[in-house]
Amino acid sequence: MSDPLIKSIEVRERRRDITHEGTSEPFFFRLGDYVAGILTGILTALAVRLIVGPQWDMVVAMLVGMGVGMLVHMTLLLLFIPLLGMFEVMMPLAMIGMYGGMLFGMRDSMQQAYIPLSTALIVGGVFGVFVVFVAHWWNRQLRGAVFARPEARRSS
Amino acid sequence: MPVTAREKWDWLSLTYDLMTWGEDWRQGGEKRQLFAKIQGRTLLVSVGTGNDLKYLPPKCNLVAIDISPRMIERARTKASRAGGNIRLVLTDAQRLAFADQTFDTVLTVCTFCSIPDPVQGLQEVYRVLKPDGRLLMFEHVRSKIGLFALFLDFMTFLTRRFGPDLNRDTVSNVLQAGFRLQHEANVYLDIVKIIEAAK
Repeated sequence: MSDPLIKSIEVRERRRDITHEGTSEPFFFRLGDYVAGILTGILTALAVRLIVGPQWDMVVAMLVGMGVGMLVHMTLLLLFIPLLGMFEVMMPLAMIGMYGGMLFGMRDSMQQAYIPLSTALIVGGVFGVFVVFVAHWWNRQLRGAVFARPEARRSS
Repeated sequence: MPVTAREKWDWLSLTYDLMTWGEDWRQGGEKRQLFAKIQGRTLLVSVGTGNDLKYLPPKCNLVAIDISPRMIERARTKASRAGGNIRLVLTDAQRLAFADQTFDTVLTVCTFCSIPDPVQGLQEVYRVLKPDGRLLMFEHVRSKIGLFALFLDFMTFLTRRFGPDLNRDTVSNVLQAGFRLQHEANVYLDIVKIIEAAK
Protein backbone atom coordinates (compact mmCIF):
# COMPACT_ATOMS: atom_id res chain seq x y z
CA MET A 1 0.00 0.00 0.00
CA SER A 2 1.43 3.41 -0.93
CA ASP A 3 2.12 6.08 1.68
CA PRO A 4 -0.36 9.00 1.24
CA LEU A 5 2.39 11.56 1.97
CA ILE A 6 4.69 10.14 -0.71
CA LYS A 7 1.75 9.96 -3.10
CA SER A 8 0.96 13.63 -2.43
CA ILE A 9 4.60 14.63 -3.04
CA GLU A 10 4.63 12.62 -6.26
CA VAL A 11 1.48 14.40 -7.46
CA ARG A 12 3.02 17.79 -6.63
CA GLU A 13 6.24 16.92 -8.46
CA ARG A 14 4.27 15.69 -11.44
CA ARG A 15 2.27 18.93 -11.52
CA ARG A 16 5.45 20.99 -11.32
CA ASP A 17 6.99 18.93 -14.11
CA ILE A 18 4.18 19.28 -16.61
CA THR A 19 2.48 22.59 -15.93
CA HIS A 20 3.07 26.07 -17.18
CA GLU A 21 3.37 27.57 -13.72
CA GLY A 22 6.90 28.90 -14.04
CA THR A 23 5.67 32.38 -14.88
CA SER A 24 4.81 35.11 -12.39
CA GLU A 25 2.85 38.28 -12.93
CA PRO A 26 3.88 41.75 -11.73
CA PHE A 27 2.81 42.60 -8.17
CA PHE A 28 0.75 45.60 -9.23
CA PHE A 29 -1.78 43.30 -10.88
CA ARG A 30 -2.51 41.65 -7.54
CA LEU A 31 -2.75 45.06 -5.92
CA GLY A 32 -5.04 46.16 -8.75
CA ASP A 33 -7.29 43.15 -8.14
CA TYR A 34 -7.75 44.23 -4.52
CA VAL A 35 -8.38 47.87 -5.46
CA ALA A 36 -11.00 46.74 -7.98
CA GLY A 37 -12.58 44.46 -5.38
CA ILE A 38 -12.71 47.16 -2.68
CA LEU A 39 -14.16 49.72 -5.07
CA THR A 40 -16.80 47.29 -6.33
CA GLY A 41 -17.75 46.33 -2.76
CA ILE A 42 -18.04 49.95 -1.65
CA LEU A 43 -20.01 51.12 -4.69
CA THR A 44 -22.34 48.10 -4.51
CA ALA A 45 -23.00 48.76 -0.82
CA LEU A 46 -23.62 52.45 -1.57
CA ALA A 47 -25.96 51.82 -4.50
CA VAL A 48 -27.94 49.22 -2.57
CA ARG A 49 -28.23 51.56 0.45
CA LEU A 50 -29.55 54.34 -1.81
CA ILE A 51 -32.16 52.12 -3.46
CA VAL A 52 -33.37 49.56 -0.92
CA GLY A 53 -35.75 50.94 1.69
CA PRO A 54 -35.76 49.96 5.40
CA GLN A 55 -39.18 48.34 5.30
CA TRP A 56 -38.77 46.36 2.09
CA ASP A 57 -39.69 42.71 1.92
CA MET A 58 -36.40 40.82 2.41
CA VAL A 59 -36.80 38.66 -0.70
CA VAL A 60 -37.53 41.66 -2.89
CA ALA A 61 -34.59 43.53 -1.32
CA MET A 62 -32.32 40.57 -2.03
CA LEU A 63 -33.34 40.38 -5.69
CA VAL A 64 -33.09 44.14 -6.18
CA GLY A 65 -29.70 44.13 -4.42
CA MET A 66 -28.49 41.43 -6.81
CA GLY A 67 -29.65 43.44 -9.83
CA VAL A 68 -28.04 46.62 -8.54
CA GLY A 69 -24.81 44.76 -7.79
CA MET A 70 -24.79 43.31 -11.31
CA LEU A 71 -25.21 46.75 -12.83
CA VAL A 72 -22.48 48.26 -10.65
CA HIS A 73 -19.95 45.53 -11.29
CA MET A 74 -20.63 45.38 -15.04
CA THR A 75 -20.04 49.12 -15.29
CA LEU A 76 -16.77 48.78 -13.38
CA LEU A 77 -15.70 45.89 -15.63
CA LEU A 78 -15.40 48.36 -18.50
CA LEU A 79 -12.84 50.28 -16.45
CA PHE A 80 -10.88 47.37 -15.00
CA ILE A 81 -10.81 44.78 -17.80
CA PRO A 82 -8.37 46.77 -19.97
CA LEU A 83 -6.07 47.29 -16.98
CA LEU A 84 -6.21 43.95 -15.19
CA GLY A 85 -7.41 41.32 -17.68
CA MET A 86 -10.82 39.95 -18.53
CA PHE A 87 -11.39 36.88 -16.37
CA GLU A 88 -9.09 37.92 -13.52
CA VAL A 89 -11.43 40.88 -13.01
CA MET A 90 -14.73 39.48 -14.20
CA MET A 91 -15.00 36.51 -11.86
CA PRO A 92 -14.29 38.17 -8.48
CA LEU A 93 -16.19 41.35 -9.37
CA ALA A 94 -19.20 39.30 -10.46
CA MET A 95 -19.21 37.49 -7.11
CA ILE A 96 -18.92 40.80 -5.24
CA GLY A 97 -21.67 42.44 -7.30
CA MET A 98 -24.11 39.53 -7.31
CA TYR A 99 -23.68 38.02 -3.87
CA GLY A 100 -22.61 41.23 -2.16
CA GLY A 101 -25.64 42.99 -3.64
CA MET A 102 -27.93 40.23 -2.32
CA LEU A 103 -26.43 40.33 1.15
CA PHE A 104 -26.38 44.13 1.36
CA GLY A 105 -29.97 44.26 0.09
CA MET A 106 -31.17 41.85 2.79
CA ARG A 107 -29.26 43.73 5.47
CA ASP A 108 -30.58 47.13 4.41
CA SER A 109 -34.17 45.90 4.41
CA MET A 110 -33.81 44.84 8.04
CA GLN A 111 -31.10 46.86 9.77
CA GLN A 112 -30.77 50.10 7.85
CA ALA A 113 -31.68 52.18 10.90
CA TYR A 114 -28.99 50.57 13.08
CA ILE A 115 -26.06 50.54 10.64
CA PRO A 116 -24.70 53.92 9.51
CA LEU A 117 -23.70 54.43 5.89
CA SER A 118 -19.99 54.60 6.78
CA THR A 119 -20.14 51.14 8.38
CA ALA A 120 -22.08 49.76 5.41
CA LEU A 121 -19.39 51.04 3.03
CA ILE A 122 -16.58 49.59 5.15
CA VAL A 123 -18.34 46.23 5.18
CA GLY A 124 -18.66 46.52 1.37
CA GLY A 125 -14.92 47.13 1.04
CA VAL A 126 -14.05 44.26 3.40
CA PHE A 127 -16.37 41.95 1.46
CA GLY A 128 -14.51 42.96 -1.72
CA VAL A 129 -11.13 42.13 -0.16
CA PHE A 130 -12.44 38.80 1.10
CA VAL A 131 -13.78 37.73 -2.32
CA VAL A 132 -10.58 38.74 -4.14
CA PHE A 133 -8.50 36.86 -1.55
CA VAL A 134 -10.65 33.74 -2.03
CA ALA A 135 -10.37 34.06 -5.83
CA HIS A 136 -6.57 34.24 -5.60
CA TRP A 137 -6.44 31.30 -3.22
CA TRP A 138 -8.80 29.26 -5.37
CA ASN A 139 -6.75 30.07 -8.46
CA ARG A 140 -3.61 28.79 -6.75
CA GLN A 141 -5.39 25.51 -5.99
CA LEU A 142 -6.68 25.03 -9.53
CA ARG A 143 -3.74 26.33 -11.49
CA GLY A 144 -1.60 23.75 -13.25
CA ALA A 145 -2.03 20.48 -15.10
CA VAL A 146 -5.32 18.67 -14.88
CA PHE A 147 -4.53 16.02 -17.45
CA ALA A 148 -1.36 14.75 -19.13
CA ARG A 149 -0.73 11.62 -21.12
CA PRO A 150 2.57 9.96 -20.12
CA GLU A 151 3.99 10.32 -23.67
CA ALA A 152 3.05 14.03 -23.70
CA ARG A 153 4.81 14.45 -20.35
CA ARG A 154 8.02 12.91 -21.66
CA SER A 155 8.06 15.07 -24.77
CA SER A 156 7.20 18.38 -23.07
CA MET B 1 -25.06 46.66 -35.26
CA PRO B 2 -22.73 43.85 -36.40
CA VAL B 3 -24.48 40.88 -38.01
CA THR B 4 -21.88 38.47 -39.33
CA ALA B 5 -18.77 37.21 -37.54
CA ARG B 6 -16.63 39.24 -39.95
CA GLU B 7 -18.48 42.46 -39.17
CA LYS B 8 -18.38 41.78 -35.46
CA TRP B 9 -14.61 41.31 -35.41
CA ASP B 10 -14.06 44.24 -37.77
CA TRP B 11 -15.78 46.42 -35.18
CA LEU B 12 -13.92 44.85 -32.26
CA SER B 13 -10.58 45.46 -33.96
CA LEU B 14 -10.97 49.13 -33.01
CA THR B 15 -10.81 48.47 -29.25
CA TYR B 16 -9.18 45.03 -29.17
CA ASP B 17 -5.68 46.14 -28.19
CA LEU B 18 -7.01 48.42 -25.46
CA MET B 19 -9.31 45.78 -23.96
CA THR B 20 -6.62 43.08 -23.89
CA TRP B 21 -3.74 45.18 -22.53
CA GLY B 22 -3.87 43.80 -18.98
CA GLU B 23 -4.59 40.25 -20.08
CA ASP B 24 -1.62 40.41 -22.42
CA TRP B 25 0.66 41.33 -19.51
CA ARG B 26 -0.74 38.75 -17.15
CA GLN B 27 -0.84 35.77 -19.47
CA GLY B 28 2.08 36.59 -21.75
CA GLY B 29 4.45 34.22 -19.92
CA GLU B 30 2.17 31.21 -20.36
CA LYS B 31 1.64 32.07 -24.02
CA ARG B 32 5.39 32.31 -24.61
CA GLN B 33 5.89 28.86 -23.04
CA LEU B 34 3.14 27.39 -25.18
CA PHE B 35 4.36 29.03 -28.38
CA ALA B 36 7.86 27.63 -27.77
CA LYS B 37 6.41 24.20 -28.53
CA ILE B 38 5.52 24.93 -32.14
CA GLN B 39 7.38 22.85 -34.68
CA GLY B 40 7.66 22.99 -38.46
CA ARG B 41 5.06 24.68 -40.60
CA THR B 42 2.53 26.29 -38.26
CA LEU B 43 -0.97 27.68 -38.68
CA LEU B 44 -2.17 30.36 -36.24
CA VAL B 45 -5.96 30.42 -36.32
CA SER B 46 -7.34 33.91 -35.65
CA VAL B 47 -4.36 36.19 -35.42
CA GLY B 48 -6.53 39.10 -34.26
CA THR B 49 -4.57 42.35 -34.20
CA GLY B 50 -1.33 40.38 -33.95
CA ASN B 51 -0.81 40.96 -30.22
CA ASP B 52 0.39 37.41 -29.68
CA LEU B 53 2.93 37.36 -32.48
CA LYS B 54 5.57 38.76 -30.13
CA TYR B 55 5.51 35.48 -28.17
CA LEU B 56 6.55 33.40 -31.18
CA PRO B 57 10.01 31.88 -31.22
CA PRO B 58 12.39 33.47 -33.73
CA LYS B 59 12.68 31.88 -37.16
CA CYS B 60 9.22 30.35 -37.06
CA ASN B 61 7.43 29.39 -40.26
CA LEU B 62 3.90 30.62 -39.70
CA VAL B 63 0.69 31.20 -41.61
CA ALA B 64 -1.67 33.39 -39.57
CA ILE B 65 -5.33 33.65 -40.56
CA ASP B 66 -8.30 35.74 -39.53
CA ILE B 67 -11.83 36.29 -40.76
CA SER B 68 -11.66 40.07 -40.29
CA PRO B 69 -9.87 42.24 -42.87
CA ARG B 70 -9.42 45.00 -40.28
CA MET B 71 -7.80 42.60 -37.82
CA ILE B 72 -5.43 41.41 -40.55
CA GLU B 73 -4.61 45.02 -41.43
CA ARG B 74 -3.70 45.78 -37.81
CA ALA B 75 -1.68 42.58 -37.52
CA ARG B 76 0.46 43.44 -40.52
CA THR B 77 2.76 45.89 -38.67
CA LYS B 78 3.18 43.55 -35.71
CA ALA B 79 3.96 40.65 -38.05
CA SER B 80 6.79 42.60 -39.66
CA ARG B 81 8.16 43.45 -36.19
CA ALA B 82 7.93 39.88 -34.92
CA GLY B 83 10.50 38.48 -37.34
CA GLY B 84 10.32 34.95 -38.69
CA ASN B 85 8.48 33.93 -41.81
CA ILE B 86 4.91 35.08 -41.15
CA ARG B 87 2.23 35.12 -43.85
CA LEU B 88 -1.18 36.65 -43.15
CA VAL B 89 -4.21 35.15 -44.88
CA LEU B 90 -7.83 36.28 -44.82
CA THR B 91 -9.97 33.15 -44.49
CA ASP B 92 -12.71 31.54 -42.43
CA ALA B 93 -11.60 28.99 -39.83
CA GLN B 94 -14.69 26.92 -40.60
CA ARG B 95 -13.59 26.58 -44.26
CA LEU B 96 -9.81 26.75 -44.26
CA ALA B 97 -8.27 27.58 -47.61
CA PHE B 98 -5.48 25.00 -47.29
CA ALA B 99 -4.96 21.49 -48.59
CA ASP B 100 -5.24 18.43 -46.33
CA GLN B 101 -2.21 17.67 -44.13
CA THR B 102 -0.43 20.98 -44.73
CA PHE B 103 0.72 21.93 -41.21
CA ASP B 104 2.84 20.34 -38.48
CA THR B 105 1.35 22.50 -35.73
CA VAL B 106 -1.84 24.50 -35.33
CA LEU B 107 -1.91 27.23 -32.71
CA THR B 108 -5.01 28.99 -31.38
CA VAL B 109 -5.34 31.81 -28.85
CA CYS B 110 -8.86 32.61 -27.62
CA THR B 111 -10.21 31.46 -30.97
CA PHE B 112 -12.77 28.74 -30.39
CA CYS B 113 -14.83 30.97 -28.13
CA SER B 114 -15.66 33.02 -31.21
CA ILE B 115 -16.03 30.63 -34.13
CA PRO B 116 -19.77 30.11 -34.70
CA ASP B 117 -19.47 26.31 -35.08
CA PRO B 118 -16.43 25.31 -33.02
CA VAL B 119 -16.57 21.59 -33.84
CA GLN B 120 -16.65 22.32 -37.56
CA GLY B 121 -13.68 24.67 -37.10
CA LEU B 122 -11.76 22.01 -35.17
CA GLN B 123 -12.55 19.42 -37.84
CA GLU B 124 -11.04 21.79 -40.39
CA VAL B 125 -7.96 22.12 -38.18
CA TYR B 126 -7.82 18.31 -38.01
CA ARG B 127 -8.00 18.13 -41.80
CA VAL B 128 -5.11 20.53 -42.43
CA LEU B 129 -2.83 18.96 -39.77
CA LYS B 130 -0.32 16.33 -40.86
CA PRO B 131 -0.58 12.90 -39.23
CA ASP B 132 0.75 13.21 -35.66
CA GLY B 133 0.55 17.00 -36.02
CA ARG B 134 -0.09 18.95 -32.79
CA LEU B 135 -2.84 21.32 -31.81
CA LEU B 136 -1.76 23.90 -29.20
CA MET B 137 -4.55 25.99 -27.70
CA PHE B 138 -4.78 28.87 -25.24
CA GLU B 139 -8.52 29.20 -24.68
CA HIS B 140 -11.12 30.22 -22.17
CA VAL B 141 -13.93 27.76 -21.45
CA ARG B 142 -17.01 27.28 -19.28
CA SER B 143 -16.05 26.67 -15.65
CA LYS B 144 -17.04 23.43 -13.99
CA ILE B 145 -17.63 25.36 -10.75
CA GLY B 146 -21.36 26.05 -10.52
CA LEU B 147 -21.01 29.61 -9.16
CA PHE B 148 -18.81 30.68 -12.04
CA ALA B 149 -20.56 28.58 -14.70
CA LEU B 150 -23.93 30.22 -14.05
CA PHE B 151 -22.40 33.66 -14.34
CA LEU B 152 -20.55 32.74 -17.55
CA ASP B 153 -23.83 31.42 -19.01
CA PHE B 154 -25.55 34.67 -18.10
CA MET B 155 -22.76 36.83 -19.50
CA THR B 156 -22.76 34.87 -22.76
CA PHE B 157 -26.25 36.21 -23.46
CA LEU B 158 -24.69 39.68 -23.45
CA THR B 159 -21.32 38.99 -25.04
CA ARG B 160 -22.41 36.68 -27.88
CA ARG B 161 -23.71 39.53 -29.99
CA PHE B 162 -20.69 41.75 -29.54
CA GLY B 163 -17.81 39.36 -28.84
CA PRO B 164 -16.97 35.84 -27.75
CA ASP B 165 -19.05 33.15 -26.03
CA LEU B 166 -17.86 32.61 -22.46
CA ASN B 167 -19.34 29.16 -21.88
CA ARG B 168 -17.89 26.85 -24.52
CA ASP B 169 -16.75 23.33 -23.61
CA THR B 170 -13.68 23.46 -25.82
CA VAL B 171 -11.99 20.34 -24.41
CA SER B 172 -15.04 18.25 -25.37
CA ASN B 173 -15.14 19.95 -28.77
CA VAL B 174 -11.49 19.01 -29.36
CA LEU B 175 -12.26 15.36 -28.59
CA GLN B 176 -15.42 15.49 -30.70
CA ALA B 177 -13.38 16.69 -33.68
CA GLY B 178 -11.25 13.52 -33.45
CA PHE B 179 -8.14 14.75 -31.62
CA ARG B 180 -6.32 12.84 -28.86
CA LEU B 181 -5.95 15.03 -25.76
CA GLN B 182 -2.35 15.13 -24.57
CA HIS B 183 -2.22 17.87 -21.98
CA GLU B 184 -4.69 20.17 -20.26
CA ALA B 185 -3.62 22.84 -17.77
CA ASN B 186 -5.47 25.61 -15.96
CA VAL B 187 -4.03 29.11 -16.32
CA TYR B 188 -6.73 31.05 -14.43
CA LEU B 189 -9.16 29.10 -12.22
CA ASP B 190 -10.57 26.38 -14.49
CA ILE B 191 -11.61 28.99 -17.07
CA VAL B 192 -8.47 29.96 -18.98
CA LYS B 193 -6.75 26.80 -20.17
CA ILE B 194 -3.88 25.45 -22.18
CA ILE B 195 -4.95 22.45 -24.23
CA GLU B 196 -2.58 20.31 -26.22
CA ALA B 197 -3.86 17.59 -28.55
CA ALA B 198 -2.55 15.36 -31.30
CA LYS B 199 -4.10 14.20 -34.56
